[in-house]
Amino acid sequence: MKSLRHASIAFAVALLLVGACGAPTTPGASGSVSPSAGGAASTLVIDQDVSDLISLDPAVVYEFSGVLLAHNVYDTLVRFEGTDLSTIKPGLATSWDTKDAGATLDMTFKLKTGQKFASGNTVTADDVVYSFQRAIKLNKSPAFLFTDIAGLKADSIKASDANTVVISLPKTASPAAFLTILTFTLGGVVDSKEVKTKETGGDSGSAYLLDHSSGSGPYAVDHWTKNTEVLLKTNPNYAGTKPPLSGILVKHVPESTNQQFALEKGDADVARNLSPQQVAALQGKAGVSTTTAASLLLVYVGMNVMKKPLDNVNVREALRTAVDYDGIIRDLLKGNAKKVQGIVPQGLAGANETAPFQADVAKAQALMKQANVDKVTLDFLIPTGQAPGGVAFSDLGAKLQADWAKIGVTVNIKQQPTADLLTTYRAQQGQLVMIYWGPDYPDPDANVGPFTDYKSKSIAYRNGWDDPTWAEAGRKAALITDPGTRAAAYKEITNYVLHNGPYVILYQPTELFGLRSNVKGFNWSSIGWVDFASVTK
Amino acid sequence: MRFVGFLLRRIVGIAFVMIGVSVITFAISHVVPADPAVAALGDHATDAQIAAFRAEYHLDRPLPEQYATYVVGILHGDLGKSIRTRRAVADDLADSFPATLELSFAALLISLLVGIPAGIWSAIYRGRLPDVIVRIAALAGGSLPVFWLGLIVIGLFYYQLGWLPGGGRLDTFMSPPPTRTGLYVVDSVIALDLDALRSSLIHLVLPALTLGYFSTAVIARMTRSSMLEVLGQDYMRTARAKGLAERLIVLRHGLRNALIPTVTVIGLTFGSLLSGAVLTETIFSWPGLGRYATASAISLDFPAVLGVTLLAAIVYPVANLAVDVAYYWLDPRIQRD
Repeated sequence: MKSLRHASIAFAVALLLVGACGAPTTPGASGSVSPSAGGAASTLVIDQDVSDLISLDPAVVYEFSGVLLAHNVYDTLVRFEGTDLSTIKPGLATSWDTKDAGATLDMTFKLKTGQKFASGNTVTADDVVYSFQRAIKLNKSPAFLFTDIAGLKADSIKASDANTVVISLPKTASPAAFLTILTFTLGGVVDSKEVKTKETGGDSGSAYLLDHSSGSGPYAVDHWTKNTEVLLKTNPNYAGTKPPLSGILVKHVPESTNQQFALEKGDADVARNLSPQQVAALQGKAGVSTTTAASLLLVYVGMNVMKKPLDNVNVREALRTAVDYDGIIRDLLKGNAKKVQGIVPQGLAGANETAPFQADVAKAQALMKQANVDKVTLDFLIPTGQAPGGVAFSDLGAKLQADWAKIGVTVNIKQQPTADLLTTYRAQQGQLVMIYWGPDYPDPDANVGPFTDYKSKSIAYRNGWDDPTWAEAGRKAALITDPGTRAAAYKEITNYVLHNGPYVILYQPTELFGLRSNVKGFNWSSIGWVDFASVTK
Repeated sequence: MRFVGFLLRRIVGIAFVMIGVSVITFAISHVVPADPAVAALGDHATDAQIAAFRAEYHLDRPLPEQYATYVVGILHGDLGKSIRTRRAVADDLADSFPATLELSFAALLISLLVGIPAGIWSAIYRGRLPDVIVRIAALAGGSLPVFWLGLIVIGLFYYQLGWLPGGGRLDTFMSPPPTRTGLYVVDSVIALDLDALRSSLIHLVLPALTLGYFSTAVIARMTRSSMLEVLGQDYMRTARAKGLAERLIVLRHGLRNALIPTVTVIGLTFGSLLSGAVLTETIFSWPGLGRYATASAISLDFPAVLGVTLLAAIVYPVANLAVDVAYYWLDPRIQRD
């Protein structure tokens, strides 16, 4: 027994020594791009927090990381080009038109010939029908854009010949909004012949498309190592201009300091989640540049009009008037936001540039007096973590608390994880709630609807604000086809909400990116993607 | 034979622990005020989508029924489907657990290789310079926040000096070795892939040092104090009186006895390494269980949280079992009892 124990000790020591010797004694390899792996020079390395990534399937993706990747893998019938969100351009479809077909509005799309999927199969109208019906059948997060916003059913989508798709919209749906929905990843067209061979147990191939691709876009998914990286490689059968970069590697790097280090060392070409302070620190450093892009988010405070005294329009106006918006943008956000006070963000048609509020304490006090409200105490729910634009929600909350204290409004800040906060907010149980909103599709209707229509059970509902006249005006504006008339209608609605609605719109954040200096053409669209095919390095 | 009985009793104990843990975790994860459906579907979801989600995850059923469904699932080897990743929890765990295990083993190895000798050294030179150095280092190890330490070592060894990689498990563009165990070091040895072995080892250094510093400090302090106690024992004096070499006295007579309390600490430490990996994994982009657990908890992904908890509920008692077995082997008195 004793000798056995000695032998075991000897063995353990030996193991430890082997471990020690085997331990890293070869410095120098610094995790840099290994040239032997090939393609490093023509692969864009993006360091990004992709913990939101759950699928690459165009019928499923609705998260930032997934949308960025799927957008570059799947072509859509129509598209926006670059950062412009005002002009719909041809995608797989060369032309389209809308006809009144009596009970419905029929939109006909003519497909470009000669488009090919990565598999080599030709893109046909059947693929479009299959893809859209598949999205409706799977009914995942983005499906409501087809079913609720556009009012589509599976039989609303038909192929009249190999290159023609006819989609019948109910007359309550906006054709303009539907076209913008088609530019989104939900409108991505999958290779029906290939996907059908991958179906298991009636899943419409969603297990396969979770981490594989079957599209006709410039890139195709090479692999997705969970929690680690996704590599896109060029689609060999892509019909358009061959992209300059042969690969796009999105690495999961959750910590922004690591992103900054990797960028400065040249191990990453793009750093996605830098804070305003980090971006400031990168200025003037060799080999590195920074860029900003618009986002479509609005950070706002909802005021529940079911809670007194927030039912009083003057109190709401006083709260809006007392806030130091310029100070928030200048000091807390280091300039990384735009002062936007309307419910439609800049960059979308129908955005209202009017921004009349700025820390006017005297006027706010007068409004409180007019409302006959002296001192008031309210609960103020704010989320944990960082707000869009790179400031802690808690810092924003403290700033607002100080601003409102000046007009006799005391707020008790309650900070909660977003899921907890939303549970309260959705149940109309909040008083003041800070949160942000991004449109589901790049059309003013995607904001005006939720912000004005109580019946849509979205933002207006959560704040108990039921104003049928203006909700109806919003529904009507959505259906207007003439852009000029539509813009005028939205101007009227947004002006009304600006002074009467239950919202303090705080700012529209700017997105920040760190880039290597040699990276060109990284034009971030505020929908949340970049066309990798236009990027060079 | 007595050993087999001892082992069996412990294993039955583990089963009871798991039942208890599953009940408690299930209850806690189902009484949180927030709605997992809202957490999963977010700000934009319609009421209909939320209702469908609640039905899919049986959230609309009474709690005991939900628990029964869950337990039946587990008995069929099904840990359920993650709300956040939409994959089988068992698959997620199989992906992330080996990464954490590898990191924890490396950290433990460092703790033992550094902590035990440092503790002995410190005890022998009690009150003198080596002791002071070890005690200061141990104090620092016990008090430095992991997050800060991690950023400092990355800043120094990756950013400034460029000696070591700043995160991840392998070089960019390097393919992992074929999965056998999920431990890259082991898999690359099996595949005889020297490049992957080198890469996975150098990627382990900084996270393992960061994660292991705290436990190194604990082990060093424990070894020091038990060594000091042992050094004053009669049998040590006897050994010296016999004229044995000091080295032999310390290592053969002293260390063996001093290690017994240290082994207890090692067992506990291993458990805390697994759970303490959360921050380290975030700083070093390490795709492990800690990060999975955090992300799951934040998004109220209760099937994933339950899966992680059950896994931890196995690992802790197994680590303790290993400690008990080590005791059995180190301390003949236990064998007699």
